[in-house]
Formats: sequence, structure tokens, C-alpha cells
Amino acid sequence: MNSSAENFFEAVGTPVVEVSRAWGSLMGCGFRTLRSIVMAPIAWREVIHQAYLIGNRSVPFITVTLGFLGLISVYQVAMQIQQIIPDFSMLGAAFLQIMIREFAPTITGLMIATRVGSGIAAEIGSMTVTEQVDALRMCNADPIVYLIVPRALACTVMVLMLSIYAVLVATIAGMLIANAVFDINYRTFLSVQLVSTDDVIVGSLKALAYGFSIPVIAGNAGLTATGGSEGVGWATTRAVVNTSFAVVVLDFFLSIVGHILFSH
Amino acid sequence: MSDAPIIVCRGVGKRYGRQWVLRDVDLEVRPGELLGIIGPGGHGKSVLLRLMAGLVQADEGSVTVRGKDLAVVDNFELAAVRREFGYLFQNYALFDFMNVADNVAFPLRQEGGIPEEDIAVRVRARLEQVGLGHALDRFPNQLSGGMKKRVGMARATIATPRIVLYDDPSAGLDPVTSSKIFLLVKTMHHSEPGVASVVVSHDIDRMKVICDRYVMIYEGRVLFNGPESAIAEADPLVGQFFFGAVAAKTLRP
Amino acid sequence: MKPLANAISAITASVGASALNIAETIGGASLLLARIIRALFPPRVDSDEVWRNLYNVGVKSYPIVVMTALFVGAIMVIQTAFYVQKTGATGLIGYGVGFSVFAEIGPILIGLMFSGRVGANNTAELGTMVVTEQVDALRALAIDPLPYLVVPRFLAMMGMLTLLMVLGDLFAIVGAALTAQLLVDLHWRVLLADLLQSHLLDEFTMGIVKAACFGVSISCISCYFGLSVRGGATGVGRAVNNSVVSNATAIFVIDFAVGYLYSL
Repeated sequence: MNSSAENFFEAVGTPVVEVSRAWGSLMGCGFRTLRSIVMAPIAWREVIHQAYLIGNRSVPFITVTLGFLGLISVYQVAMQIQQIIPDFSMLGAAFLQIMIREFAPTITGLMIATRVGSGIAAEIGSMTVTEQVDALRMCNADPIVYLIVPRALACTVMVLMLSIYAVLVATIAGMLIANAVFDINYRTFLSVQLVSTDDVIVGSLKALAYGFSIPVIAGNAGLTATGGSEGVGWATTRAVVNTSFAVVVLDFFLSIVGHILFSH
Repeated sequence: MSDAPIIVCRGVGKRYGRQWVLRDVDLEVRPGELLGIIGPGGHGKSVLLRLMAGLVQADEGSVTVRGKDLAVVDNFELAAVRREFGYLFQNYALFDFMNVADNVAFPLRQEGGIPEEDIAVRVRARLEQVGLGHALDRFPNQLSGGMKKRVGMARATIATPRIVLYDDPSAGLDPVTSSKIFLLVKTMHHSEPGVASVVVSHDIDRMKVICDRYVMIYEGRVLFNGPESAIAEADPLVGQFFFGAVAAKTLRP
Repeated sequence: MKPLANAISAITASVGASALNIAETIGGASLLLARIIRALFPPRVDSDEVWRNLYNVGVKSYPIVVMTALFVGAIMVIQTAFYVQKTGATGLIGYGVGFSVFAEIGPILIGLMFSGRVGANNTAELGTMVVTEQVDALRALAIDPLPYLVVPRFLAMMGMLTLLMVLGDLFAIVGAALTAQLLVDLHWRVLLADLLQSHLLDEFTMGIVKAACFGVSISCISCYFGLSVRGGATGVGRAVNNSVVSNATAIFVIDFAVGYLYSL
């Protein structure tokens, strides 16, 4: 009886302890990254190098994914509109607004979470299991300052840049299909009459938040990798899920913030 | 040998989950001695080394370096303590995004305030000492295992540490290269007076040539602590392990 | 002129190299799909392995799918409510949420999460087996890795992602109803009634079909990258990275293709 009660508490308690420990380590990592950005000297050359690595291979990836997203969303919405009222005058304006406010930053964030998040976790994870991170510590080089801060700064800027690029790509793709299939004039489609500063602010905030949290979460997964080559694989997997989910959760909360601040 | 000990472990224990990997370890390291930590694989030797360097924290007992308890030091004191250490890692741990010269120069650059010309001179001298004066511009993935070990040793000793920890210097090397590496450990140890060196290995034959004193860790506990001459009076397990244990059936894996 | 010529040849070389890479991935994954289909007629499958994989895939991915679905429903309510308040078309909120979640955003986000959780995990698992020579050991025992390792995973992922999509749609509605009630001052009954009257069966089935197709692509791509791992510890991390990137691209392309074919 006693031991079964003990087993029960262990079964319930272990996941709770694990989750809160993981959460604590993540928050600590994020906090120390922020503090190091403010307090410690920043290796700008490394930041620029990382920005190049993050941006370079992401451009074709973002072009393909956001291009297809633009195509399909305009196509499907226009098909619906065609069945109800064949009036396409607001289609482009609404598309541009929701792209800026929601989909361009969020889908870009998800794409960067998959590509860059897994890359950072694999890189830092293999440094951890080959003791390079311990070697940094022994040389008094804080792994957070040395590895995560440059990636966090670079990624924050690059996700914002890529989100702007994503709006561009999706809009061009949407414009092309609207013109080709539904005969909508480019001028009619390309309208900013629904876009306000609020939308731009909310969209940029989202991009910045994703850009900062992706390298922190992925880097933390890499730094906590254990146990040889398998450990690197698991850390990479964990980073993909955690960063993608963080993007969805941040999107939810920032959407609420946007709704409360700008809904009047 | 009369100097005050530089590292003191008192009742140190470390566990992962419910499994204790080290228990009740009492140990002192004195300036100028070359201490060998021996024992079968997976019995906690490497963990002990990491505890001494403050890379992991003990779950019980205390580790003090020059009188500073590693469990309570703040970041600045820990940085000061770590400047006393050189560490050769088991998997070399060379930074794979830097060439050999930058790897060896890294501890000096981290110290700050040393002019680049001085760093270049010292790095070249140290790499020539370990026989790698020709490989300054190569990257770690272009080196053989023995060369990586030697770069690791050059990096561990470049900043004139007072304590050098060697984690299994012969791991994954052929016998000839292993012997060379151990002789290099000895050379490094004697090149600077008063340096304490700690070598973790199960390569007894090569340890015998260089070490002053031995500590045997068995199932997470200290089974033996003393010079080679004292082994006769110790637990028979120690003798079996030390003198080529043909009858090592009692050594559980 | 010389630097310009060099730059042009560098760009052409990199475009050509990535085109070759893409062609190799598509070819390898399609070949794997063809071999899987051939192994299914007549079925040469280890049925114990299929059940074990169904269980593993389901248990691994349902929490993240449920959580994502809740958030997706919530986010779409916030976005639609914002839009509806701006234009004053209050009757459209249930329709807007249902349409976007069932047809488009639900399948894409759940597919991406599934790819991150199960696809990445699968690549890491198979990659580790290749690196530690377990796959060679199977071959040495005259066990064909295809029906033993790949086909059960294919069936499990396709089946589970289809089922999880239904579950996800359900939880998205729950998330939408909760958010409508708590955040945007719309009674949840109103939202549900509106949703049920919107004739969204076509969109719902399209989402399920999309999910089934994503299941096929995720299993083929992740198995392909897992089985072609080269180069030890870092190889597994790199394979996971490539696998999630290819999966994300495939999801958007397939999403467009299915959406387009459905409207014909």
C-alpha cells in the first residue's frame, strides 16, 4: 500500500519536476541572454556572420513556402467569394492586411524555427557532447555569451527582415494567381487601404519575439544535450518541436495583446 | 610535499537520478605532485575530475580549490579559480570552427590584456614543444587522434595553469602514441615547478612511469590512496588491477 | 569584368548544386514511396511492427497536436473577430474561423508540428540505427529493412496523422469557442451555431485529405533522410535538419496542389 502510494506520487511528480526544471533552465537561459546583450561586449563580427548563415539559406526556403501560401490562400478565398458575391475589390487589401498582421511573421517564424532552430541545436548539441562547451567554460568563456548571444541578435534581426520579404513574396504570388485565374487587376489587388500602423506594429512585434526565442530555445536544447551522437539527434528533435510550439503560443499571446490594444 | 594542498575533496558524493556515481570521496592534491586516478571504466573517475574543475556540482560534501569552496563561490571567484586550471578533455574538445593556432591561443585571448604578438610567440613555442610547429593553420578535422591530443595539451597548458587535469590522455590512441602522450604529460609537469597534475586513466603500465601517487576509484569510492610501494598492504583488488590482473574476475564491470 | 564573371559562375554553381540536391531528395523520396507501395501489394508487412509504430506515433504526437489545435482555433477567432469588427460583418465569424481552420491553417500547422515531432524523431531514430550499424546488422540477418522498418512507419504516420487531423479540428473548435467566450465577447453557442450552419463539409474533408497526403510525404522524406545518414555524430543532426526543411517545403507544395485539385 505504502509503496504503491509512493509509486503513484513518483509517477505524477516526476513529469512535473522534469517540466518545471526544463522551464526553469529555459527561462534562465533567456534571462541570461538578455542580460548579456545589455551588459557584455558583443562580438559584432560573429553576429554578422550568423546573420549571413541564418539569412542566406532561408531565402529560397521562405520564397517557396510563402509563395505557395500566397497562391493557395488567395485562390481558396477567391473561390469562396466567387460563389457568394463576385466582388473582388477588397480581396487584395484584406489579404495584405492579414499577411502583415498574422501570416507572414508567423509562417516565417515557423520556417525559421524548423530550419534555423534545428541547425542551432545540432551545432551546439554536438559541441556539448564533444566537451567543447566544457572547454569554453574552463577558459572562462560563458557559452551563453559566446554561442547564444550572437545567434539571438542575428536571428531577431533576420526574422524581421525575412518577414518583410515574406510579405513581398506572398503578395506577388497572390497577385499573379488573382490576375491569372480570376482576372483581378494588379492595381485593384495591390491595395493598402486596410493596412494601418497597428498591423505593422503587431506584425513586427511578433517577428521580433519569434526571432529572439527561437535561438534561445534551440541553444538551450543544444546545451542540455547528453550522451553521444544519439543525444545530438534528440536535442535537434526537441528543438524543432519546442521552437515551433513557442511560435504558436507567442502568436496567440501577441494576437491577444494586439486585440486589446488596437481593437477600438 | 609539505605545501598546503591545492585541491581538497571532503566526503564528496555525486548522483545522477537515484544512482550514486561517487560517494564519500576524500582526496587532496598538493602542489608539485603528479597524481594518477585509476580504476575500471564507468566507476566515476571522469566525474571526479569534472567535480574538481567545478564543471559539475557535488550533491554532498565539498570541493575546495585554494581554500575556496566551489559550491559557494560567485562568478568572479569561479573565473579566478578556473584561471588556475588547465583541462585536457577525453574527446579533445578542440573548437572545430577554429584552426590549431587559434585553439591554442583561445585561453590567452580570454584572459585579456595580452598583446597579439606575445600570444603568437607563445602559441608557436608551445606547439613546437609538443611537436606540432608545422600544423598551425590546420583545422581539427584534418588532424589525427594523437595530434588532436597534443593540440589539446598545448591548449590546456598555454596559460601557465597551476593545476592541470588530464582526462584519459590515451583514450582511442595506439600504444606507441599513448606512450608518447604520457611522456609529454611528464615533460609538461616538470617544465614548471610547483604545478599539480592529475591524470585519469586505466592505462596502468604507462601511468607507472610518470605518477608519484595513485588513487583508485572503485564503484564510486576511494579504494586506495598512496604511492606504488603501499599497494602490497592494500585491498587485493588494487594489486590485481595494478599488476596486470589476469585473475581480475572480482572486478565487476 | 573578371570578378563579375566569377560571381556569375559562383551563383550558377550554387543554383545548380541546390537544384541537384532538390532533385536528389525528390527522386530518393519518390523511389522510396514506389518501393513502399510495391511492398504493400501483396502486403509483406510485419503487423506487430505496424501496431507498435501506430502506438508510438500516436502517443508521441497527440499532446502537441491537441495543444496546437487549441491555439490555432483561438488565434483564428482573434484574427477574424478583429476583421469582423472592422468591417461590421458579424455573421461571418463562425464561417471565417471554420473555413480557415478546416481547409488551410489547421492542416498546415498540425502537419508542421507532426513533421517536427514525429518526422524529425523518425529521422533521428533511423539515422542513429544507420550510424551504429544496426541497419547493416538487419541486412546481415537477411531481414529487408524496407518492410521491417519503413513500411510500418509509413502506415503508422499516414493513419495517425489522418486521425489526428479529425481530433485537431475538434480541439480547434474548442479553442475557438473558449476564446470567443472569454476574449471577444461572443457567446460560444453563437459561434458554434454559426459554424454548424456554414456548410463546411467540403473544407473539412479537404483538410483530412491534406493530412493523409502530409502523412505520406512526411514518412517518405523522414525515412529517406534517416536511412541515407553519413558521417557519424554530426551526420544525424544534419539529417534531421534537412529532413524537417524538406518536410516543411513539401507540406506547402502539397497543400497548394490538393487545394487546387479539390476546386476543379
